[in-house]
Amino acid sequence: MNTPDRDDSLPDQLSAWLDDELTPAQRAEIDAWLHEHPEDTARVRLWAADRDALRARLAPVAEEPVPPRLEHLVLNHTPARQWLTATRLAAGFAVFALGAVLGAATAWRMLGDDDGPEGASAGWDRRVMGAHAVYAPEVRHPVEVSVVGATAEDSRAQEEHLSRWLTKRVDRPVKLFDLRAQGFELIGGRLLPESNGPCAQLMYQRIGQSAATRVTVYLRKPDGTTPAAFKYERQGDLGMFYWVEGTTGYAIVGSLPREQLLALAEAIYKQVG
Amino acid sequence: MTAPTAFRQQLLSTIPRLRRYARSLVFDASTADDLVQTALERALAHWHQFDQRRDILVWVISIAHNAHMDDRRRRSHLVNVEPLDLQDGPDSVAAPASDPGLRMDLVAALSRLPVEQREPLLLVTLEQLSYAECAEVLHIPIGTVMSRISRGRVALRALLDGHVPATPTNSATRSLRRVV
Repeated sequence: MNTPDRDDSLPDQLSAWLDDELTPAQRAEIDAWLHEHPEDTARVRLWAADRDALRARLAPVAEEPVPPRLEHLVLNHTPARQWLTATRLAAGFAVFALGAVLGAATAWRMLGDDDGPEGASAGWDRRVMGAHAVYAPEVRHPVEVSVVGATAEDSRAQEEHLSRWLTKRVDRPVKLFDLRAQGFELIGGRLLPESNGPCAQLMYQRIGQSAATRVTVYLRKPDGTTPAAFKYERQGDLGMFYWVEGTTGYAIVGSLPREQLLALAEAIYKQVG
Repeated sequence: MTAPTAFRQQLLSTIPRLRRYARSLVFDASTADDLVQTALERALAHWHQFDQRRDILVWVISIAHNAHMDDRRRRSHLVNVEPLDLQDGPDSVAAPASDPGLRMDLVAALSRLPVEQREPLLLVTLEQLSYAECAEVLHIPIGTVMSRISRGRVALRALLDGHVPATPTNSATRSLRRVV
């Protein structure tokens, strides 16, 4: 073949051959080349297989139903310039509306925080479950301060540090409860923002298991000071017990059956006293 | 004047393939649909620039490509992590939702190709654009389309065979500049 720099341009030509982008003359040339070079024939076959695999893998996306928001956009969209004047008029109203929304939001928050005696203000339960859902599945950063040390001494020092830090920030004694008799060990804790100040989160996991089963325990200043008995709530997989004892509100969250979670809550309750 | 109904209907018909193209560019379904939305908005705002003799899909894909490049430029000061690189990282959460139909090897390999090679390769193999149409969408010469596709194929095959090129983005970008 009279192509001195065949090596440089060959992959491009083979690739274009596969895409049927060659002139008839070039095509005939590559046909002949492939006939004599089985290794290149094999290479092009692999490329063709990759192409087919790509098509097979990504084709289904085009078969998905069109999201309604995109369809709506195409059928109803008005270009920005058209409604610029309308936008200006609307801007004045928007400032007013924003004020109203902020006012409503504040009122909602205040209402939410003001349902005193049972100690779990509206939203606290949801926030606590949310915190569990966010942090418990973390593989590498489940806690802010870990108590898992290289040696028993390290762990002990970390536990002391965690307890002191949380006690100071939450402004009430944060005892690191021992749940080993119930099959759970402490891995560490973190501080969470709450509506009335910081809240401590302690994380435990089933001894000898990884992230699969974890429970989180919460301590914070309650909204009311009236002692409240155990209350139970469930949201999907997650169960939660909460109560108020002394000047501290407690909660425990985990995706465990009610009885198991209650056993943990009772163990904590006993250790508080 | 807003876009006429006929144009809107034409545009509507491109959405499935536009979504597929966007998904192959950015992988994450909702980010991809955001890109589609941006492209559709731009198309509707500039409908009068569309030449009816052209293929509307090629036109809209070219708008999506520009939007994607704008987006990359805007974020270029941030570290760019391809979502699929994160799949098995140590920072991931336990049991990430996995799509059993996902052919991880292929898609992971695809995501590791530099975008300069991935785009023309996908436009030609998946969307079945011609080299000329691809050149038009990407604003590059046909010869460059040809060489990027062939290098994309070689790189993809190497990745699928388990040869991981060192720092794919840096070295690939540098060698790409030489070609252009």
